[in-house]
Amino acid sequence: MLRRKGKLQSLAGFLEIPQDIVMDLPRITMLGNKQLLVENHKGIIEYTPSLVRIKLNQGELFIYGEKLTLGNLQAEQILVEGVVQKVNYDI
Amino acid sequence: MIYNAKYLCGAVKIRISGSMPERFINLCIIEQILLWGITKIDEDLIAWIRLDDFFRIRPLVIASHTKVKVLAQRGLPFVVKRAKRRKTLMVGVILFFALLYTLSSYIWFVEITGLKNVPDQGIRYVAEQYGLRPGSIKNGINSKAIEREIELQIPEVAWVGINFTGTRAVIEVVEKTMPKQEDKAPAHLVACKDGVISEIIVLAGQAAVKNGNTVKKGDLLIKGFALEPVQIGVEGQPLINTIQPELIRAQGIIKARVWYEGYAETELKQTTITRTGNQQMAVIMKLGSNEVAFNEIPEPSYEEFETEIIYKQWPLWRNRQLAVESTITIYREINSTHIEKSIEQARNEAYNKALQAVQSNIPETAQIVVHNYEVVKTPEENIVRVKVNVETIEDIGQTINISQ
Repeated sequence: MLRRKGKLQSLAGFLEIPQDIVMDLPRITMLGNKQLLVENHKGIIEYTPSLVRIKLNQGELFIYGEKLTLGNLQAEQILVEGVVQKVNYDI
Repeated sequence: MIYNAKYLCGAVKIRISGSMPERFINLCIIEQILLWGITKIDEDLIAWIRLDDFFRIRPLVIASHTKVKVLAQRGLPFVVKRAKRRKTLMVGVILFFALLYTLSSYIWFVEITGLKNVPDQGIRYVAEQYGLRPGSIKNGINSKAIEREIELQIPEVAWVGINFTGTRAVIEVVEKTMPKQEDKAPAHLVACKDGVISEIIVLAGQAAVKNGNTVKKGDLLIKGFALEPVQIGVEGQPLINTIQPELIRAQGIIKARVWYEGYAETELKQTTITRTGNQQMAVIMKLGSNEVAFNEIPEPSYEEFETEIIYKQWPLWRNRQLAVESTITIYREINSTHIEKSIEQARNEAYNKALQAVQSNIPETAQIVVHNYEVVKTPEENIVRVKVNVETIEDIGQTINISQ
């Protein structure tokens, strides 16, 4: 399984295809510490103003911060707004 | 754009309470229900949801064991709902637009432009007869027919155009240029200038002067009488003229030599003052008895300057003087230059000036015969004085009606 993934990754690099499409990985975009956009997620596990836990394909994303709000919640993306202090990627 | 779509569809602010409100959110994500602006207050989630999605969440609420409460509503559907309750307002809105439409379909003003000599009452009268008057409906007016009628009924008019701008009808008129009516009233031809007659051509009337005569302004040149029949008089008998001569309009060309004189002087040494464009401004405002200086300059830094003081005050109102005044002092830097001219240069300058002064008096049709100039000697050495004499031959006739 892991070897297949490695092959896929090298093939994607060779063909210059974005890897998040090929590998089905989440794309996380941060705008300073104000906004954090998570695409290709698998749902939300916990939400409090100081912690957002987002379920990913593999593992979980912890977002610590202050006054966090979920700006835009859709099947493809989650927009976390507020003051982001720490992002923890946990597999 | 997305905001507009949300506004059109309507949005609801909901409070989700329960043990696991996140589960509700996950269910919404799976069902492709858009949520935004999610915040947590105490243990409850506050979120915005679209109005059409709001009616789909009931099974999700039951599945996630939560409770949903509506906190606020926003968007067009709610505005419409509220407006439906306020019937009188809606009636007013409809009435407003209906009135606006009906009133704008009437003509309120009729304006006539382009008139110079023709009085506008005639045009207005014709236009009113054919329905173009304040208070008539715009659609019922056949502007082509009215244009034609005005052109037919008022002969002084060359072209008429009617157009509507809003509630205003503008009748644009172009007048015909009529040939000038010749004045047939009896008249004498008199001199309008002093001069020596050099040529006489009489077209109508009797010449009162001869070639070489000196005339003064106002002297009779051609009498406005018809030529009398040649009377065969017998020697020794006085001619008895019993018939009053018939009065006619005298016509003719009387050319005369006319002299003009012009004088000008120039100084040899001259000081010209030019502004350099640099200026400083001091503003002092007077409030009652207190003076407030906004931009005080004790002494401007220019070597030479001129001062302008502008004094501003509110206009008097009912004889009460307001206590606020302001004084603006402008110091302008100036450059003064001394120019010394040679005598010839000064003379030419004075000559040109004098000639210009003379030429403004000479009519365009005059024929200049002689012109010369002389320098007037004066004890003052700084000034050159020049005198210009111009002799012309021109028509000095001027018709003056005979008062009967």
